[in-house]
Amino acid sequence: MRSDYAVVGKRIPKLDAPDKVTGRTVYADDLKLSGLLTAAIKRSPHPHARILSVDVSAAEALPGVYAVIHAGNVTQRPFGFGHDNTPLKDRVVRCVGDEVAAVAAVDAATAQRALDLISVDYELLPAVDDPFEALQPGAPRIHDELDIEGNVSMEWNFQTGDLAEAERRSAVIVSGSYSSPQAAPAPIETHVVIAGFDADGALEVISPVHMVFMYRKELADCLGLDWRRITVRQPPVGGSFGGKIDIDAHDFIAVMLARAARRPVKLAMSREEEFTGTRTRQPIHFQLRTGAAADGTLLFRHAEVVSDNGAYNAWGSHALLVAMNTVTSMYRVGTSRLNAKVVYTNKNYGGSVRGFGNPQATFAVEQQMEELADALGMDPMDLRLKNANRPGDVTPQGLEITSCGLSECLETVRRKSSWDQRRGRMRRQHRGLGAAAYVHVGGGARIYGSDGCGAMTKIDDSGRVALISGSSELGQGSETALAMIVAETLGVPLEAVSVSHDDTDVKPWDVGVHASRTTFVAGNAARMAAAKARDELLKGAAEVLDRPARSLTIRDGVISVPGEPTATLRYEKAVRRRLLREGSSIIMTSAFYDPPTQRQDENYVGNISASYGFGAHVVEVEVDPDTGMVRVLGLWAAHDVGRAINPMSCEGQIEGGAVMGVGLALSEELPVEDGRFPAPNLHDYGMPTAMDAPPIDVTLIETADELGPFGAKGIGEGGIILPPAAIANAVADAVGVRPRSYPIRPWKLRRWIETGERSHVDKRPQLVRDVNAR
Amino acid sequence: MTSYYRPGSASEAVAILAANPGAMVIAGGTDLVIDRRLGRADPRAPLVDVTGINELRGVRWDGDELHLGATATISAIESDPAVIVRTSALAEAARVLGSVQIRNMATLGGNLCTASPAAEMVPPLMVHDAVAAIRGPAGERRQAVADVVTGPRTTILASGEILTNVRLRAPALSGSCYLRQTVRWAMDLAGVGVAAWVLTDGTGREAAVQEARVALGAVAPTAVLVPGLESLLAGAPPTTERLGAVSAAASAACEPISDTRGTAEHRRHVAGVLAARALSIAHARAAGLWSGGLAPVNGRASAVTSSGERA
Repeated sequence: MRSDYAVVGKRIPKLDAPDKVTGRTVYADDLKLSGLLTAAIKRSPHPHARILSVDVSAAEALPGVYAVIHAGNVTQRPFGFGHDNTPLKDRVVRCVGDEVAAVAAVDAATAQRALDLISVDYELLPAVDDPFEALQPGAPRIHDELDIEGNVSMEWNFQTGDLAEAERRSAVIVSGSYSSPQAAPAPIETHVVIAGFDADGALEVISPVHMVFMYRKELADCLGLDWRRITVRQPPVGGSFGGKIDIDAHDFIAVMLARAARRPVKLAMSREEEFTGTRTRQPIHFQLRTGAAADGTLLFRHAEVVSDNGAYNAWGSHALLVAMNTVTSMYRVGTSRLNAKVVYTNKNYGGSVRGFGNPQATFAVEQQMEELADALGMDPMDLRLKNANRPGDVTPQGLEITSCGLSECLETVRRKSSWDQRRGRMRRQHRGLGAAAYVHVGGGARIYGSDGCGAMTKIDDSGRVALISGSSELGQGSETALAMIVAETLGVPLEAVSVSHDDTDVKPWDVGVHASRTTFVAGNAARMAAAKARDELLKGAAEVLDRPARSLTIRDGVISVPGEPTATLRYEKAVRRRLLREGSSIIMTSAFYDPPTQRQDENYVGNISASYGFGAHVVEVEVDPDTGMVRVLGLWAAHDVGRAINPMSCEGQIEGGAVMGVGLALSEELPVEDGRFPAPNLHDYGMPTAMDAPPIDVTLIETADELGPFGAKGIGEGGIILPPAAIANAVADAVGVRPRSYPIRPWKLRRWIETGERSHVDKRPQLVRDVNAR
Repeated sequence: MTSYYRPGSASEAVAILAANPGAMVIAGGTDLVIDRRLGRADPRAPLVDVTGINELRGVRWDGDELHLGATATISAIESDPAVIVRTSALAEAARVLGSVQIRNMATLGGNLCTASPAAEMVPPLMVHDAVAAIRGPAGERRQAVADVVTGPRTTILASGEILTNVRLRAPALSGSCYLRQTVRWAMDLAGVGVAAWVLTDGTGREAAVQEARVALGAVAPTAVLVPGLESLLAGAPPTTERLGAVSAAASAACEPISDTRGTAEHRRHVAGVLAARALSIAHARAAGLWSGGLAPVNGRASAVTSSGERA
């Protein structure tokens, strides 16, 4: 693999880090605009109720109030998948936090007083917060306006191969149920949106959203606006973890308030609203069976799935797309079947949170790999390696595996954790090792018509190279990676490159930041635009140096002719020579990259990503069996990143993801009581602190993907996928009981230890043979 | 606008409080500032800042008596070398309270007078039989710390009174320990907090217990002393059977609730587990068997780093 790069592969501190750590970064909530009003939302305190009346007269009469809106005095259309949601609820509220009315006032105190003056009469309806109860006949109907059966919002069904035949051939079948909690992305910066119209009726929205073009279209569709006259500006994002992808009711509400008030408004979520009024990671319940031949060859996987959607279809309703990939395509599994129901409940609804269905699915699939290995008398690592995906594989769902370092990842964490010497041998100290591995999209994810991203580069007379990318920086480090890709491609110093990506009027179209796609897709677009700029640069230099352009090279900003030490030219000079003359021109190039992928067909078959990322973790835990406490003592991570554009940033993504995953595994959940979150704050929500982070050992496995920019693949989500599964496996190794749900809270684990939750293993085909032999 | 006073003496503070009914005493403000912002306390009530009063400050030893000023910070208690060795429970409670930043601001008096059922410092003070000095218009009175907190967020302090200090004795052959269970290892409230104190008749493994106290936090409306320990423990070393009886007594003394930090049943059980561990460690300290340093937070001997290969 090439390693003579000038910039790619170097450890570069994130370019935005100095401003962030010194408090200079200006976030949306820091912005001051002349005449800016403060907005606030009146939310439902009930999980399910009919709205009988909304009286806003007292609020409207309060001095300092500029606008009071509710479903009765605005024009809005439904939004969300299946159009099951409206910004302001009209007839019915379906979860605590549902938006009923909103105000814009001169300041926050006045806005709050106005909210208090709004009177809403409700007729309480029976609510259901459990998806299995919601599926029962006679359960409360959550969307009686929709033509659906039994609160099932959507179904995802996939089958390939002959399941009955695969069962017959299996020597061992393990089965079990695996559940996950409602959890929150909980970024430091809560959701903020600023909206204002100019005198001509053009709308500007300032928001840390990261699918800006989709956002613009949805605003227009729902509110009847001309989307050509909407500009979305994205200030620096104070963390998202997926939570800021979705357009949400409050985005529309801010725009409606700005229209009604004829003034710009700012709507900033309190921490409590961030938990109750913005999107969460939805619980998914798996009933999974895996079968294998006596030699460990996987023969089938069969999942019956219920996803607890919450009250409406946001992106979370589509997390099954990823969960399905894991069930059918993690390891060579062949015959597979998944039947999933996405079920409405009267709860906060699921969005797209980092990992997007994969931590939940991997928790089931990878625990079952170790249960299967134990039942077969095999080492779980050997079982994994035997069935590992390999380059050239095409999975049942049509995923074309190209670069694939899964086996190397597994072998690395096996060696580094001393797995062979220690797994299964530390029960006396109540210590254990557990492993897990993943497959996740790493080369975009075609879930729209296009999975493309645009990029433009320009080089000005100073030599400054500007990359204008369609993508967004949300803390994940893409700005730095894109600048490095441009610097490497052009052959200029990194300091010469700037990245802009914050304004829909300026930047070229992009799907948005999701699915670990930015380095791959936006990186390829940047590389292509920069390559064109390089061609232009060398064409100009060829005239000056009087050599053919193809004979020139450029490195560290110096254009030269190999073998001719005196024939050199600084690249800035080449730009100026082209510019400062009659008939001048400057260098401006553009490119659009859309990966060579397919949308999945109606049977969920299609190669949706141009490459796939793989990784493996081993976790060591110590259990205190008397109190049920689990402590993570160490975490070894190896991830196939294709090529680390910026190794420092890759490690940061993996470590940050892993700590988030440890939180998921052990402590993060939003318990619901009577449809409410009793503790919607960071003090009670079990997000880990630095003191809860275990020592993490990261190995980057570089497989040089043929389509990735310089071989890179996506790594934004990989770190978070594995800890719940790996920690559950480690707990099983430490104390011999199997955690069937996470977070693995002490009181749950103690109960399991007392009741002895074991693996459910069916060895019936062998028994049948034994019977026949008699 | 809020009135803010910063008296230079305890008597001045008492006079200001008398002249401003409804005024609140503030020291580190780590609870009060949040309560005022969230409306749990009146944000307009006058504030009387007692951190300028010299006589309320400091961590001081006088022979085997420990004098803790009401405005002694939690970090000062955590880092006092004699506190760590002689009244280990106080140091062990202090080091898990909030975060470093909070401990630098928060005070012993604030922790006691805020009267949270999960207050970290209260169980250790109770097992050390600490006595609080309370100054009011009528002069000073002394009250056992065990009697100061009367319920969640309520204390025995009358309006116009301030806590000035807490004193306790740490005799030879005594030792203590504080353990807790939490969701997180920092920035968290105790799910269960247990303090134990033991006085022995000598040193070594066979040293008999002369006196013992165990106090439980976060498992009842106030911290509670476990009753009846003398008959279970006195006159013999804390054998496994005896520690089992301590566990049962501790569990029985709980009146826990269920919340995000644990179910009632789990808290009751863990209170018993931690009581036995804390008592055992306290005995080891009293009997000179402890090799020094603070105990693991949950009292379970464990290595915290992995023995796997490191890159």
